[in-house]
Amino acid sequence: MSPRFLWLLGLLAGTASPLSAQLTIQGDRNLAFGVVIQGVAASVVPSDPVKSGEFEFTSVIGKTIQIAFTLPPRLNGPTGATMPIAFGATDAIAMGTAPSSIAVTFDPRTAKQFNLVTSARILVFLGGRVTPAANQRTGSYSNTVTMTVTVF
Amino acid sequence: MRIALKVSAVVLATLSLAASAQAQTNSANITATAVVQQPITVTGAVQLGFGNVFPGVAKSVAVTGATAGRFDILGQASAPANLAFTLPSNLTSGANNLPIGTWTGHVNTTNNASTGTNFTPSASLQPFSFSGTGQAFAFVGATVTPASNQVAGTYTGTVTLTVTY
Repeated sequence: MSPRFLWLLGLLAGTASPLSAQLTIQGDRNLAFGVVIQGVAASVVPSDPVKSGEFEFTSVIGKTIQIAFTLPPRLNGPTGATMPIAFGATDAIAMGTAPSSIAVTFDPRTAKQFNLVTSARILVFLGGRVTPAANQRTGSYSNTVTMTVTVF
Repeated sequence: MRIALKVSAVVLATLSLAASAQAQTNSANITATAVVQQPITVTGAVQLGFGNVFPGVAKSVAVTGATAGRFDILGQASAPANLAFTLPSNLTSGANNLPIGTWTGHVNTTNNASTGTNFTPSASLQPFSFSGTGQAFAFVGATVTPASNQVAGTYTGTVTLTVTY
């Protein structure tokens, strides 16, 4: 292999490595309402340390990122039953893990942009509200919540 | 010429990677979950009754006694739940108090105060499970201790049972 070609491979490797490290993301905890009673709405606040949903992602300080959720309008239950789930203006919190990081509350229904200033690792917490009908079929309900992060 | 083509291909690949780095997107999922259950209803079915008591003579009602207190509970079939009692320390008759204590309890999935589980009502929470048809029964007994100079009268107090999943 010619030295010139090796140099180009080195250039490629040097370019690919930081690109792949710019964004990692994972879901850490389900949004769990637990037992809810027929006819009684139940809420989980994003600051709930047990029931709130939690994601985390790691990017690069100095980058602008956008968080967007794909939120289900209902949870799916036994034999086709569904139960409404809703999200409000203060149902999401993003917080860096640096000591100087400040938690930011935002509306998970609309995409939100942040500049990563103090922390490259961000925790995102999600709350919500379910509204079982008075004759809601009993049993377990669930659906998927997706968080998409874009690094600009 | 052949070398030049190879170099061009590599440079294009490099440029392509650089372009994709302009906006990088990634996603992750969690699950939103809930378990729907029937509401719980609690009914005070039988009053805890001591009948006539006399100054200086303590009197007890056992959970198996005919005048033990009984709560009837309905909820989600086979679901676990917890009992929590609010208990008076005195029965009252106007301004007069009649001490009550030594509370005893029994919970069962059938209306039987002998074949279930004994518990102490003054403890914080008592776990139990509803029957397969969503029933449970809680029985309470206690002891009243009239003073030797206890003022005659009718004394009452309220026992509250709170049941939660």
